[in-house]
Amino acid sequence: MDRPVIRALSTAALLVAAPIGAAAHQLVVFASVDCEAVTVEAKFSSGRIAQKGDVRVLDGENTLLTETTLETNGTATIPLASVDHSTGLLIEVDTGGHDNYWIVTPEDIARNCGS
Amino acid sequence: MHHPLRSTLWGAAVAFVGTGVAAQEAPSVIAVNYPLAYFAERLAGDAMDVNFPVPAGVDPSFWRPSISDISTVQGADLVLLNGAGFATWIDRVSLSRSRLVNTSRGIEDQFIVTESITHSHGDGGEHSHEGLATYTWLNPTLASAQAEVIAGMMSARGLAPEADVDAALTVLKGDLEALHQEVATALSAVVGVPMIATHPRYEYLADRYDLTITSLEWDAGAAPTEEELAQLSDLMAETDAQVLIWEAEPPAEGAAATEALGLANVVFEPMAHAPSDGDFLSAFSSAAAALADAAGDLPAN
Repeated sequence: MDRPVIRALSTAALLVAAPIGAAAHQLVVFASVDCEAVTVEAKFSSGRIAQKGDVRVLDGENTLLTETTLETNGTATIPLASVDHSTGLLIEVDTGGHDNYWIVTPEDIARNCGS
Repeated sequence: MHHPLRSTLWGAAVAFVGTGVAAQEAPSVIAVNYPLAYFAERLAGDAMDVNFPVPAGVDPSFWRPSISDISTVQGADLVLLNGAGFATWIDRVSLSRSRLVNTSRGIEDQFIVTESITHSHGDGGEHSHEGLATYTWLNPTLASAQAEVIAGMMSARGLAPEADVDAALTVLKGDLEALHQEVATALSAVVGVPMIATHPRYEYLADRYDLTITSLEWDAGAAPTEEELAQLSDLMAETDAQVLIWEAEPPAEGAAATEALGLANVVFEPMAHAPSDGDFLSAFSSAAAALADAAGDLPAN
């Protein structure tokens, strides 16, 4: 079955370039956790690795805990011992033009730490 | 018969989880938008606690939950997803797949692909993207299919008595079919009549009822700027539209400005949040009637 396509007029499209572009051209952020550290991975929705970017780690009250940068392989490692993770961690990555986040809850940490 | 959504309990639920008191008398359901929460309420009755966690005034498509919000979501027995790319936050958290319900599975072939937006940034040059229209529930037939998926999962997981869910589903599907018939009758008078919407929310409505709606991207609740009004004027000339559809009651100055251009203003709440008056069925019906009243005497293209 053919999928219908809604064609926005160009005049309208001009109005939405920034917000839709940001959403469609997404930076994908993922964070996994074990008992030692949170490992952050960032890549673009195209599959291309984000080789540079700022990583901000906030707690459950949105207080900044620490900052770091992505390695050239698109990852960053945050040792759990270096941050107060009792209220969970909000991981923000900003590559300059694209940004996204991942939420690590206290339950995620407990579950992946085997407790 | 209908239970008010228990969104006011959301804060309490968060507090419970935060303090480690997780005991719940009834299984819990989290929905990513109001229509899914409404359907779940109708289907589960008192057997389940249904919550729609997005605060008023926040677009549920782009809600950014707090860590404690996600802790609560992770503790839910079911998380009702809309699919079609609605609610981007679900891709930024760890959720148990066994608890996720993609309510639009089975209707993917009816998703509407939205035309690309041309833009440029970085070193990628000018390019464009396609996306999916997300407000599936504005086609009552698709909404009915989504309700059926919810009912199936409630029963399959043993979260509510199957016979009760089946009975409730029969009634709900009947209500949605009646809604469809009512809306189809009302909107039959405006088939082909060119209209403009302040936001691209109505793709599935337009597709179901053969409406001709061209969308802008105005900020919800904000009065249009001079530039936006100029572009609206150009769009009117291009489409011959004489009706402007708003997501919510427009600011007085905005309504006056568009009226001055010769447009009839109509509010059609797309209901990602609960409507300002009534419920999914009554608000949908009222909005369709208002649209028919505004555009019913206008010529079709």
